[in-house]
Amino acid sequence: MRGLILFLMMVVGTLSMQATDYPYLTFELSDGSKASVSVTPDVALTFNGNTLTIGTKSFTLTNLSKMYFSAQDETVTGISTLQDTDSDEIVAIYDLQGHQVSKDQMHHGIYLIKTNKGTSKVCIK
Amino acid sequence: MHQMKKTLTILIALMLTMAAGAQTLSITTASGTTSYSAADLTSSTPVSFSNGTTMTIGSDNYTIGDITSSAVGDIKDNEVHILYNGTSAAVLMASNVTDYVTATISGAHVTIAQSNTEAVDGDELTYVLSGTTSDGSFTLDGTYKCTVSLNGLTMTNPNGGAINITNSKRIQLSAKKNTTNTLTDGSGSQKACIYSKGQLQLQGNGVLNVAGNYKHAIKSASYIEIKNLTLNITSAVGDGINCEEYLQMKSGTVTISGVGDDGIQCDLGGTTATGETTDHEDEDTGNIYLEGGDLTIHVTADAVKAVKAEGDIRATGTNVTATTSGGGLWDADELKTKSSSCMSADANMLISGGTLLLTSTGAGGKGINADGNFVATGGNLTIKTSGNAVVASSSGTLSVVSSSQQLDRYDSDYKSSPKGIKVDGTITISDDAVISVTTSGAGGEGIESKTSITFNGGQTYVSSSDDGINASYNTTTNGSGDLIVNGGYIYCISSGNDAMDSNGNFYVKGGLVYAIGCGGAEKSLDANTEQQKKLYISGGTLITVGDLESGASITGGTCKYTSSWSKNSWFALYNGGTLEAAFKTPATGSNTGGGGGPWGGGSSSLKLIVYTSSTPTLTSGVTVSGGTDYFGGTLNIGGTVSGGSNVTLSNYTSSGGGGGRW
Repeated sequence: MRGLILFLMMVVGTLSMQATDYPYLTFELSDGSKASVSVTPDVALTFNGNTLTIGTKSFTLTNLSKMYFSAQDETVTGISTLQDTDSDEIVAIYDLQGHQVSKDQMHHGIYLIKTNKGTSKVCIK
Repeated sequence: MHQMKKTLTILIALMLTMAAGAQTLSITTASGTTSYSAADLTSSTPVSFSNGTTMTIGSDNYTIGDITSSAVGDIKDNEVHILYNGTSAAVLMASNVTDYVTATISGAHVTIAQSNTEAVDGDELTYVLSGTTSDGSFTLDGTYKCTVSLNGLTMTNPNGGAINITNSKRIQLSAKKNTTNTLTDGSGSQKACIYSKGQLQLQGNGVLNVAGNYKHAIKSASYIEIKNLTLNITSAVGDGINCEEYLQMKSGTVTISGVGDDGIQCDLGGTTATGETTDHEDEDTGNIYLEGGDLTIHVTADAVKAVKAEGDIRATGTNVTATTSGGGLWDADELKTKSSSCMSADANMLISGGTLLLTSTGAGGKGINADGNFVATGGNLTIKTSGNAVVASSSGTLSVVSSSQQLDRYDSDYKSSPKGIKVDGTITISDDAVISVTTSGAGGEGIESKTSITFNGGQTYVSSSDDGINASYNTTTNGSGDLIVNGGYIYCISSGNDAMDSNGNFYVKGGLVYAIGCGGAEKSLDANTEQQKKLYISGGTLITVGDLESGASITGGTCKYTSSWSKNSWFALYNGGTLEAAFKTPATGSNTGGGGGPWGGGSSSLKLIVYTSSTPTLTSGVTVSGGTDYFGGTLNIGGTVSGGSNVTLSNYTSSGGGGGRW
């Protein structure tokens, strides 16, 4: 009985991993930037001319190099460093859920930085 | 050990619920659909793009322009997901079914060819449809049963049907729990907004709204079963639901309105009925089985039916609310005047359960119309008709009459009278059946059989403008026209004719009959003495307002009467000192100044007649408490009475001679 339970637990564990392993489809562009799109629920990929559209996101096909399933959101934009001089001008910082946060609250993830000069997206690694 | 068993049970349950869902990418081209597991398309083995024109997955190279659909999502074995979005659609397919399913996509019009002839990995295929399109459709062909699951689908096809299933096997069409699905069709050549060549099982705990703008809303060339589903048919040019073989409503909530023809029509599929079979296996009867759930139908066109069966209608548990408001129609082919019915059966009408509220307001409208027999053993049936009779000239021009007497000069095919229950075969009411029929229009008969009527039990209330209860016969049925009361409680009042009229013999052998004719020449109980038939009273309890048929045979008890009484006062009827019943009358005796109205009318001899197995006595002005009220508080059985004064009764002797008109 104990052996059977152990075996079933392994099966359940495996099934569980299969079901939740890859909730994102990540697109990598030729400049190295990446964008991940949630694929839960189902979503169509539409090819129209030189454009691939998935959900609300569109990519220029000639700029697209790879596409793969990923376990996490791997979105990376070209902006990855926040200059000290810019930080003095920061008006507000928001996380992707729209919550306003302080600089001290910025951990790993993507944030929107609103400054006097405009709004930028940054990735904290 | 007990804990281990519990753990084992939980693990197995977990396995069953988690079974085999997996992220998948499906690519569809003219060559078919290929599905790739997410585990095979990770960052180490990605899909690669080249020059914006080519996509490579493993060893598969795709010219992007050749891709007709691609989709990604979590899909289980045996599933095919169709994602509608505006004017496009995408197909996501489990990898274990790609060899059996070919998807052709044109805009948002998806055609599936399913080739398996047996279960795939032990199960049938399931198509899950979701999204919104204003110009889309789903067509499915195949030779093996499958499920079509609607998961929040809003689909309009302006140029044809929304769902067209040419697979002739059993199809489960299911609306997923907590989803609302709306299907609308447009002009084309389709038979319905939802058409299935095979057996159609409509189910699921979601909502399905259907609008049929070309013909029927839902059509199956085979049987239809309905379970759990909330189905709203909001419009149809033809029938709301049209099917063959049989229709079975087990549960759910079905509402049908805005249809141009019948609400539900079920026809025989072949030429010979099989009769009901075990579990309806290979059944072809044209029967409609109403076993559970709630069914509401409103139809408005002339001469249509809310529920129409080429076979039987068997109501055993469904709560039915049906209304018809259309008038008559001249059928130039059959040379016959036709009218609407709430329920129409070419064979029998059987009621043993459920609550049925049937209302017909149009000219000639009927509650129930059956060519076969009517049998009620249970359930609660209420029928109200308010239309007048409709008649046709020799050229088929229709007109509505406002007086029952005008009908006498029309042949039967040239008139259609409003009737609560009209049956060509026999009528039998027994056991726990509770029936209430009210007709108010010209020619409005309560309950009519063209063969015979038998009461063995139940409660029957009839208030009518013409004959209340009429047993008749014709050359087609060749029935006896007998009316037989063996048991049950019957209250029957007519404002314009006989209360209970037999065109054959009339037997009162048991039960309690409370009959009120309109007075004058019309009887409370009428038999066809003109054809040497007779009224036989040999048992039960009888209360009548209005005379009995002349020449009645009265045995087994005593019959007495009074001509002086007041209406709306409680009377206690005793049978040799035992309280039999308490009752009120709506009429007043002519000797008590009861002129005017249909009862009394100032004529000479309106009688209140009572019959019991011993010697009846009457007390008027009593106070009644307890007991059970019947027929809207007109009759009380088992109560206690007090006070009142004795009514002087005379012995009733039936004279010879004929009765009133039929």
